[in-house]
Amino acid sequence: MIRSLKVATLLAFTSVTKGNFRIALLTILILILVALNLLFVPGLLDGLAWGANDKLINTYSGDLLIESDGANHYITNVDQVMIEIANISGIDSATARNYLSAEINFEGKYTGAAVYGIHPDTEKTVFTIADYIIEGSYLNSDDTDTIILGVQLAGADRANLELYARSLQNVHAGDRVSVAYSNGIDKEYTVKGIFYTEFIQTDLQAFVSEREFQTVAPLLANNASTIYIKTAEGADTEGIIEQILSKTSGLKVMTWEDYAGLVHSMTASFKIIEVIMDVVNLLVAGITIFIVTYIDVANRRRQIGIQRAIGITPISITMSYLIRALFYSVIALSLATIIYIYGIMPLEAHYPFHFPFGDVYLRVIPFVLIRTALLLFIVSIISALLPVHGVIRTKIINAIWG
Amino acid sequence: MIKVQKLTKIYDMGKVKVKALDGVSFNVVNGDILAIMGKSGSGKSTLLRQMGLLDLPTTGRIFLGRYEVTKLAESARAGLRLKYLGYVFQEYALLGELTAHQNVYLPGMMLDNKGCDYKKRAIELLKLVGLGKRVHHYPKQLSGGEKQRVAIARALINSPKVLLADEPCANLDTISSGIVMETLVRLNQDMKVTIIFVSHDPGDRQYARYVMTLGDGKIIAQDGGPA
Repeated sequence: MIRSLKVATLLAFTSVTKGNFRIALLTILILILVALNLLFVPGLLDGLAWGANDKLINTYSGDLLIESDGANHYITNVDQVMIEIANISGIDSATARNYLSAEINFEGKYTGAAVYGIHPDTEKTVFTIADYIIEGSYLNSDDTDTIILGVQLAGADRANLELYARSLQNVHAGDRVSVAYSNGIDKEYTVKGIFYTEFIQTDLQAFVSEREFQTVAPLLANNASTIYIKTAEGADTEGIIEQILSKTSGLKVMTWEDYAGLVHSMTASFKIIEVIMDVVNLLVAGITIFIVTYIDVANRRRQIGIQRAIGITPISITMSYLIRALFYSVIALSLATIIYIYGIMPLEAHYPFHFPFGDVYLRVIPFVLIRTALLLFIVSIISALLPVHGVIRTKIINAIWG
Repeated sequence: MIKVQKLTKIYDMGKVKVKALDGVSFNVVNGDILAIMGKSGSGKSTLLRQMGLLDLPTTGRIFLGRYEVTKLAESARAGLRLKYLGYVFQEYALLGELTAHQNVYLPGMMLDNKGCDYKKRAIELLKLVGLGKRVHHYPKQLSGGEKQRVAIARALINSPKVLLADEPCANLDTISSGIVMETLVRLNQDMKVTIIFVSHDPGDRQYARYVMTLGDGKIIAQDGGPA
């Protein structure tokens, strides 16, 4: 076997170094494009999924959510629940919210919204919405008669917004809006700030301070519709959920994944797209190597016959073609990886792709890199093997003399 | 000793069947030089290809020593080709991407006999055929005669018992032909290799101790050879 490998390596080496340079270059270039696609598509889709999930967790759901499990839609005695939660290891921070549905009116334009009563101080420890204020400022705990609006509600004269038509369109920080709550209370608020997280579901929310909320819904004092939890890095989510359930009653705990059906189905669709793209790319790679090997084998039919006539084993001849195909793949994959990491990724970081939930950055995933390499190598070997196998089976006398 | 017994080769060309060899029988003793002569289409090359284990006869048997090689599977015949036979083709048949040195040592590398430095031996053989200064030249840089001598050196790399040459001088001028044929005779004398060559040039008879003439696939004359 080692003898065969030595002979095969010599034949492959001389075939690459002394063969047609242009064909070798063209083959490698096509394989570089294929390898770039194999890296780029999952990198982009993973970046998309990662970006969407990150926005969802940091602006909308937190890592875990606690809601009432019973007929009562509210978590009662929330102050005590928050104390219990604070003592659980693995929980970084938590914040409670109440909400009422409402209709917001500005200069004759109406839009429906959920208005949340929040604790601004603890909100900032769980969510990053305060970092996305584009007009005015974020809420303080003692704020009353003020509201902050998501940009998809306010409109803020940004006609390119996805839901601009159903927004209030021209609301800016400092404007006065009237809010008709579903419990029959009407209030006028000064818009203290407008936030734009680029995550549509978040940007459709409106916030008042819990202090203000209690003036609207005093019966909901010490209640919360949802408690949002941020877990520590690397925390055992299952363990945390078990502890929460053991220390409280009548509550259910959900993970951000349970809460994010839309992002979940989007991620699943991305995976399908990725598989389709991978199959197409690998077919291109396979066909390229097959054609190059087929033409080469057809041109060298006589030469292969001579090699066999002088005693070179079929396995050596076959291996020489496999080594050559692998060589092309290794060179192409190496160059594609360098181009991707040091060319395309930095360029994309400067001019990122923009999606409805924000900028998306390409990612490099070691697993994808290894998978790409393995798939490319396997496809190369099979594609090179098929045409060689045909000639190797031909009688020597026919291969040499036709 | 090589024994050829009632060898027949029929080529099936669809509706037409061509009998290239018709019951050919003869023996060649070790160390002999056999010239297979005859006109074009007489069956010379067909006979050599059967003896070189490149093709199988339709009927008949070939013995190489005590092995009946016509019964062996392709893998076993490939092993015998590598170990016991050297084959020189009419059209040089060198591998264009390899140097003269690499062309010669390639079958040696494949056999990889323990204790035999095939690269060193390849250089020695190239010197033996008068190409010591052409070791690292590629086939396209060599003349026809030089290419044929590289092919002879390649055929000898594994110290074969028998060297078969199919019209080794067909594409060469008179001077080159003389050099190639004298090289074969010298190798026969120095290395005791049995040489079997095919030629249509009556002038090549002088290099052989045993001359066999074919016509229409049959032996029509023999001169010399085993008693």
